[in-house]
Amino acid sequence: MSPPRSRSGAVATVFRRALTAAGRLFLGLVTGMLALVTAAATLAVTASCLIGVGWFLVRPWLRVIRAVADLERRRLARFGEPVPSPYGPLPTGIAEGFHDPSIRRDLVWLVSHGVAGSLVCLIGFQFPVNAVREATAPLWWTLLPPEEAGALNGLVQITSWREAFIVAATSPVWLALWLVVSPRIADFQARWGRRMLRPHPGVDLSARVSQLTASRAAALDAHAAELRRIERALHDGAQNRLVAVAMLTGAARQVVRRDPEQADPILERVQDAAEQALAELRTVVRSILPPVLENRGLAGALSALGADCAVPCTVTVDVTVRCAAGVESTAYFVVAEALTNVSRHSGANESAVTVRRTGDVLRIEVRDDGRGGAAAGDGSGLTGIVRRVEAHDGTARIDSPVGGPTLVEVELPCG
Amino acid sequence: MRVVIAEDDALLREGLALVLRAEGVDVVASAADPDGLLAAVSAHRPDVAVVDVRMPPTHTDEGIRAAVAARRAQPGLAVLVLSAYVEESFATDLLVDGSRGVGYLLKERVGRVSEFVTALRRVAEGGTAIDPEVVSQLFARRRSADRLAGLTPREREVLSAMAEGLGNTAIAARFFITDNSVHKHIRSIFAKLGLSPDGESDRRVAAVLRYLDAT
Repeated sequence: MSPPRSRSGAVATVFRRALTAAGRLFLGLVTGMLALVTAAATLAVTASCLIGVGWFLVRPWLRVIRAVADLERRRLARFGEPVPSPYGPLPTGIAEGFHDPSIRRDLVWLVSHGVAGSLVCLIGFQFPVNAVREATAPLWWTLLPPEEAGALNGLVQITSWREAFIVAATSPVWLALWLVVSPRIADFQARWGRRMLRPHPGVDLSARVSQLTASRAAALDAHAAELRRIERALHDGAQNRLVAVAMLTGAARQVVRRDPEQADPILERVQDAAEQALAELRTVVRSILPPVLENRGLAGALSALGADCAVPCTVTVDVTVRCAAGVESTAYFVVAEALTNVSRHSGANESAVTVRRTGDVLRIEVRDDGRGGAAAGDGSGLTGIVRRVEAHDGTARIDSPVGGPTLVEVELPCG
Repeated sequence: MRVVIAEDDALLREGLALVLRAEGVDVVASAADPDGLLAAVSAHRPDVAVVDVRMPPTHTDEGIRAAVAARRAQPGLAVLVLSAYVEESFATDLLVDGSRGVGYLLKERVGRVSEFVTALRRVAEGGTAIDPEVVSQLFARRRSADRLAGLTPREREVLSAMAEGLGNTAIAARFFITDNSVHKHIRSIFAKLGLSPDGESDRRVAAVLRYLDAT
């Protein structure tokens, strides 16, 4: 900060800092109370794990904790440098969760901010509150019932005008504390919060790097697999059909000289082969970038998929802003694969596709009421889903207990 | 000439059999995979096997491996490999055990029926048929190799024709020159490439390919 040019400028700066500090501390108090409540609820969730039900709550609850911590990160970022979020995808197993440093750090932060952070913010915020309250004591003490009208947080009762003015006279002390101490308290609290909420210097960054490396490798893998798939489709499909066209044309020319009658059935097969080649080319093209996606957008394309599904399917698409073409075509592929699985294996009576864009995340859910037991194994469509989603740095979860129902949940970043 | 066909695509398999039968070739069996080919070869002892490169299970080079195995099981079996695209390493794999009765052609050559059947007969009689596409790929790769740079354009044309498996008379006919000048060109090519001249066509091809592969 550059030094203020004049005396009045310096005073203005001090007051501005004090006002900002009051706001920071108030918001800190809010997130502190939230953290306290969350910490208490975390205890409850942990306790409920002892009787079993809690295990189902762990993952959603970790999301809640992350949301609370992110809220505090946003508060800290508002009044200073941004605090990078350390989160990778949620751990999938208990052992992995125990080793996830971000979860440990979050829990420590939750308790410390909930208890100590709230207290510190409360004290810092007390100064401006008291300064205003005591200064205005002569204005309001008569309006309140005698036992309510007090100063110093109710420690001293105001019973007369004289006392009211004495209380008002203490206001400059609070004002001074506010101007001098509150900003320091706010700074102290922010430094502390930042230290706890930023990614752990070594571990978390390396985790993020390895996560990015993995997603990049997955992208390359998926890309190579995709090229291989296209090459195979072209080779086994269109190319072989065209070879047949060349071959049978040769046969027809051979025959036509001797017996034109005999050439006709061969020419018919030539025509069939050419038509098949065209059909297969269309299929390949559609699998690369479905034209329906281009023409009718994600909503239209997915509705068409739903309508084609052998199992009655409700499609809900809530996407107002279009996503990148790659994300849309992955979303389309995910739904297409999932619905193919539904029609082929699930034995379901009905299915539902929900696609929603929240901020920079596209959430896709495909559920059915079939027999369940679906798993991503070698060569299954679900593996393809996981691969393609990971290539976009997204997450895919397949929840399919034996006996059903099946839920495929995919989140794709689309910022 | 008795032929066994191995091709996993049913339409192509039937088309091939149709074309060959119409030309009076005796197609004794057709198979859809490498095992079927080996079984058909041992059951029918054909003169020549026509084999697709890509077959189940992995659709990569099963055909080449099956062809090599079939030749080991029945020495002297001629093999004509068909492929949707050319890959020179396939050609060299095939030629490892010698070039007598080996052919490697693009699938669409089948459409030029009389040329295809001529090549097939040449292979069945112990000759060689290498697709011009393979040869030009080899040449493209080796073009910078300095020794080939010493050849005249005509000598290079003659060398490609030799690599395809054409005999002197066929080469003379293709370039409208006399047999004598073909001889002269070949002697000159061998001299420039440091190869001892040899009359047998398949050994010439082997020498050419081996030379190309070794450098």
